Amino acid sequence: MQIRLYRNCQVEQEGEVWFALVKFVSARNKDESNQRLCRTNRTNNTMGATASKLPKDQLSEYQELTFLTKQEILLAHKRFNELLEREDRQQIGGSRVPMNKILTLPELKSNPFRRRICQVFSTSDLRDGSLSFEDFLDLLSAFSDSATLEIKSHYAFRIFDFDDDGTLDTGDLEKLVNCLTGEMDNTRLTSEEMKQLINNILEESDIDKDGTVNLSEFQHVISRSPDFVSSFKIVL
Amino acid sequence: MELREFRDSLASGFNDHYSPQPSLRHRGGPDLQENENTVQFDWSSHPEESDDGDSHQPQNLRELPLHMTLKRAIWQVQQMKVPVVTRWGSWRIHQSKAFRRFREDAKDVLAKLALWRKTIHKIGGHFGGGVQSYFLFLRFLVILNLLSFLLMASFVIIPSIVFNTVSFSGSSSIDSLPSVNMTGKEECLRYDPNPEALTVFYTYFLDLLSGTGFMEYSYMFYGFYNNTLVISSGFSYNIPLAYLLTAAFYFLFCLACIIVRMGSVTRIMVATGGGAVGGYSMLIFTGWDYGLQGERATQLKQNNLLYQLQVDLEEERIKQKAASLTLTQTVGLYSFRIFLHLVVLAMIVGAFFGIAAATQFSQSQQQGGIVGLLLEYLPSIVMTTSNFVVPFMCDQVARFEKYSPSVTIILALLRAVILRLVSLAVLLYSLWKQITCDGDVNTGKCTPCSYNSEQYQCWETRVGQEMYKLTLFDFLITIAMLVLVEFPRRFVVDNCSCKLVQWVGRQEFLVPSNILALVYGQTVVWAGALFCPLLPIINTIKFIIIFYCKKGTLFQNCRPALRTFRSTSSNFFFFLVLLIGLMLASVVLIYSVAIIHPSYDCGPFRFSETMWLVVPNTFHSLSNTTQEFLFYAGSQAFSIPLFIFSCVFLCYIAALATVYGKTVALLKNQHKMEGRDKQFLVKQIKEIAALSKEEQEPQQPPRSQAQWNGAPHWGGQHNPAFDPDTGMMTQPRAFFPDEFENPGLHYREE
Repeated sequence: MQIRLYRNCQVEQEGEVWFALVKFVSARNKDESNQRLCRTNRTNNTMGATASKLPKDQLSEYQELTFLTKQEILLAHKRFNELLEREDRQQIGGSRVPMNKILTLPELKSNPFRRRICQVFSTSDLRDGSLSFEDFLDLLSAFSDSATLEIKSHYAFRIFDFDDDGTLDTGDLEKLVNCLTGEMDNTRLTSEEMKQLINNILEESDIDKDGTVNLSEFQHVISRSPDFVSSFKIVL
Repeated sequence: MELREFRDSLASGFNDHYSPQPSLRHRGGPDLQENENTVQFDWSSHPEESDDGDSHQPQNLRELPLHMTLKRAIWQVQQMKVPVVTRWGSWRIHQSKAFRRFREDAKDVLAKLALWRKTIHKIGGHFGGGVQSYFLFLRFLVILNLLSFLLMASFVIIPSIVFNTVSFSGSSSIDSLPSVNMTGKEECLRYDPNPEALTVFYTYFLDLLSGTGFMEYSYMFYGFYNNTLVISSGFSYNIPLAYLLTAAFYFLFCLACIIVRMGSVTRIMVATGGGAVGGYSMLIFTGWDYGLQGERATQLKQNNLLYQLQVDLEEERIKQKAASLTLTQTVGLYSFRIFLHLVVLAMIVGAFFGIAAATQFSQSQQQGGIVGLLLEYLPSIVMTTSNFVVPFMCDQVARFEKYSPSVTIILALLRAVILRLVSLAVLLYSLWKQITCDGDVNTGKCTPCSYNSEQYQCWETRVGQEMYKLTLFDFLITIAMLVLVEFPRRFVVDNCSCKLVQWVGRQEFLVPSNILALVYGQTVVWAGALFCPLLPIINTIKFIIIFYCKKGTLFQNCRPALRTFRSTSSNFFFFLVLLIGLMLASVVLIYSVAIIHPSYDCGPFRFSETMWLVVPNTFHSLSNTTQEFLFYAGSQAFSIPLFIFSCVFLCYIAALATVYGKTVALLKNQHKMEGRDKQFLVKQIKEIAALSKEEQEPQQPPRSQAQWNGAPHWGGQHNPAFDPDTGMMTQPRAFFPDEFENPGLHYREE
């Protein structure tokens, strides 16, 4: 589909047209990949199982769209393959790995935020935290070496936003602190300590004093920490 | 796919606050959403307009925190944009795309070639950024030493080997340098390093360890090199000049490398304001290290965080409850602190005296065998012992000083650095005292030769030997510590379950003390490089072996550190200390080159007053124009304007930095203000919308799609396309014919 857009379009109209185009194209992509899936299903059932390899054009596409290098993408492909059921290994593009399998990865197994990470990066309609291969690449890209501070702080904010309401309120902060200190009863702070801590946090980072920490306030705190980028890292 | 199905599917997915949909401002609707979390994307940047367009756009795409499907769709849509360009423009775009791809491939290849890349990756993954920074620092030093050795080898060592083994026709080994008056200097010419013909086997081993014997008169040390000046057909090579200039260039090269490395670290530090402590929010938001793997490491980290939080909260509570300290208590605390500082100072000064005495004693003894070896190593032994004992005692003292934790760490590091570097300086000073008879070259033993020829027939080689011994001893102690302390400790902790042992626990990899050990080793090499040209390669091999040993002990014996190590600000500090070490070594270099008389019987400078004189002497053999040019460059007419210009440039850079800092502060304030403004305006709008909704509720027909009722626009500005009067753009209507039947309806509430 080619659309010639002339220069004398106004910016606002252009934006809305492009946005509509984006949604249309993404829906069409989904359609095409579904059709491709059915076709490969049929051919694989007749041809027999073969090891799935990442085609070159897809590899370069992933390189364009993520911060990962070629080696990292291939390694991710291999590790994701191992997590899939044997019969799903041919259609790596379309299959989803359930959350409990993702959580068996050694890099995520003992991370206290593992469930939130899966839920944030999951594009599944059922909201069950299952990851497709592209979600997995998104995850690794955000946690990679070369990802920028903005991306990392954006995703960190989403991971800490336990109720997905767009801000970190008291409930979110409490759950966050409990994740950091441990889930056992003897590893939690007492409720007075928790209240004191949350008050201090809000006092320090809530700039507009609305009782919650929004994304820009969060990013403001993060930008003052020189070690955040190096600690917000998961490499396979 | 039917357009209708597509339209229906658009309505879904609105619950997500982070998709691009919220960036559509719903104009005039009562359900106004706050758009702080919108994903902004600049559609209007055409590829042919931006200068570095291609490097800009892919970067833009990757930085969007969207799902891959949306990113891919945006990418495809971007590619659909067929810009109206000339042939020249499209060729230029094509070239820049190809160049960018080539650049990325080259970066990939270079990254693959980086030394020990996988190992350091793995270490960072298991132990965090702090430990990884130690190994990165070690790798930097290995490469620096290797490059320096290549420099030395290609300009000094290999030519010397070549000239010693091959005889050129027309070469002359006597130089054209003006020789010093040699009469009356017979006592200075008594250097005889050649070993006896038959030696017992173990003396080879002793010689290897102390740099004497067969090692002394070899390419290892300064004394072996001759002052050869080779002139053959069209080719001339001056070994003394090469030696001196290579040493000078080596220092400048190391300085440049360190400053480049420091630059990147400094940039981060300036941007984040020096890593100022942000308190609780910083700890909570950035405290977790996502690279940790394994149950044990995670639990330790969680325990540590819990403990830290409890301690901090407790301190705050106590501070709030307790009254401020009375005057007498404050005075008492400060005087106690001063007293403890004096105690630490006394310990450090005591260590210095010990080192000076040991050096003096060791230099004056000339025994053979094992006892002799021990005496030779006496300065190294005393220095290493003090480097272990004194920081340990300082740590115990620091417990009583009651400073805050960050101040305590900085003080401990500062004390350790002073101890290590100044003890090395003390050793060099006592050596210098002995060589030049306390600086007075015309008294006592120094009269005939301007240096202490009784003890030092070839003083440069002796200094080189001392540095060699220091390096070797440092290496042996590191290995011994690994084998005799760390491995047994782990065995004991793993197998014995008594409480005391478990409380001591496994070794923790202490990054600061390890890095200081590296800095100390490197400073020794720098100080000795002039006198022992092979020292850089010995150091390279030493550091490589240390890398593998430390990696082994890290994975086998160590547990993850309890305290989050602030790697970035400490990185800057370590490079600063390395720079101080380089300054110390350059003082040694400058002093030896310019002031002390070279030995009469050994080395490439044996016939000049000072080492530096080689340069002016060869200067006169250059052509006249070169001489005039260099004179001009050194004269006042040139150097004063140059100096003034550099001052002006420095002031400009400083002013720029100040302006940026002020801009950052202003923007931070503005950010605060805007937040408050936005809050206020949102409240106002909500009130007004609520009022108008009450008024208009009975008049409005039900809407077909409650959420797609606003005219979407990107920049938050009024979109004339949806005014009922103007009917310019038909394309949106082609997509969404139903919604825009009554566009005017949606603007009545404004």
